[in-house]
Amino acid sequence: MSIKRSLATSTISGFALSATLILTFLNVLLQNLPTSVSRAGDALLQLNSQEGVANVVTTVVVYFRGFDTLGEIAVLFIASLGLGLMLGSNSKCDIKAESNFMLKTASTILFPIIMLYGMYVMIYGHLSPGGGFQGGVIIASAVLLLLISHKEFEVPHSLIVLLETLAGVSYVLIGLIGLFTLDIFLGNFLPHDISQMGMLLSGGIIPIIYIIVGIKVGSEMSMITQNLIKRGENV
Amino acid sequence: MIGFIVLATFIGIIIVSFAAIIQPKLSDSIILFMGVGLGSVVLFFVFGAPDVALTEAVIGAGISSLIFLMALKHLKAQK
Amino acid sequence: MFEYFNEPQTIKTIVTIGSMTLFFIGLFGLLTQKHFIKIFMSIAIMESSIFLFFIGNIFNKDFTAPIISEGFSTVTKMNDPIPQAMILTAIVIGMAVLALGVSFTIEYYRLTGNTDIDKMNEMRY
Repeated sequence: MSIKRSLATSTISGFALSATLILTFLNVLLQNLPTSVSRAGDALLQLNSQEGVANVVTTVVVYFRGFDTLGEIAVLFIASLGLGLMLGSNSKCDIKAESNFMLKTASTILFPIIMLYGMYVMIYGHLSPGGGFQGGVIIASAVLLLLISHKEFEVPHSLIVLLETLAGVSYVLIGLIGLFTLDIFLGNFLPHDISQMGMLLSGGIIPIIYIIVGIKVGSEMSMITQNLIKRGENV
Repeated sequence: MIGFIVLATFIGIIIVSFAAIIQPKLSDSIILFMGVGLGSVVLFFVFGAPDVALTEAVIGAGISSLIFLMALKHLKAQK
Repeated sequence: MFEYFNEPQTIKTIVTIGSMTLFFIGLFGLLTQKHFIKIFMSIAIMESSIFLFFIGNIFNKDFTAPIISEGFSTVTKMNDPIPQAMILTAIVIGMAVLALGVSFTIEYYRLTGNTDIDKMNEMRY
């Protein structure tokens, strides 16, 4: 390394070390917060009983902050669009190698099991930890397993386009139906009794919206992984 | 007991992340980055947030590291 | 000896110092590394440190996870569900931005053939 680069490196490391020490000292000194701070989540924990959903984090993500989830899906869609624009192509893939007999057999056996587990996590998102994002990415990892072990496998493009379009449109349609019947965008217009807490059909539209989110996220992540694996020579 | 687990996991995460940044080979660096995600999952579970732990396990140690590995394959194939 | 580690003040101190150290390790990697992939990895480490800081500073030993089930049906001793929902969104968005950045790296390598930010000087002069 030249003299200038070693000087710059040592200066930056010294800066980082001193910043760490200063912040440590400040944080240890300022630790005397009052013990009983009122939290914002207490009100939402009480309001959750009216929805009849067992997982409070699901209610917050889908119902109380449902508009933020719509924006997050938009961000994922833009990322998938950018990736398809930069790396997508229609030519044949020539970067994959022919794989072993053991790898092909094992991945063919494991693919439906992982897919089933992903669907379980997605559908039971309102009763136990899980939900749409987790289940969708698990489904995408099952598709990735098939992509790296079989040389001639490709994700069908028209099916992914159909699933993604239907999921995105129905999310906004459900919100608009809530707007027309209850005067609240993404309002809960299906019956949601508190006596049904813990059952599969509880909570009104909350499991339906999470399943829609899971389908959209799963198909987008499958397309992202296929674009990253297969990249033709001439774009 | 919980405080000891938190302290040991934090020391592990710091050592592994520093080793991941100063490695000369890229494939070792990516595998050590997966270790940061694993320690993160353990900490989220001990802090009482199972939803966040599941999300970080699937995304941080699953898809994010796989994106790096696939980029590495493309960067080396066109030597 | 283990009893000293279980006080809330000690755990908050450990969490704050640890996550700030992780943040500055990521910042050090961002400033001094030259390969594109290592720079993106440093950004991901910095994001992970902030998530740990967020969830660790509201941790209370007597409270349980915010899920209503058979044994835990009262909502008075549960963790805060709002930061968990925000961190869930932030993790997914961080992954999306990382995927887009890595795709730029691959395409730039195909066009010019270098992965070094010191040699990236097409826009000079």
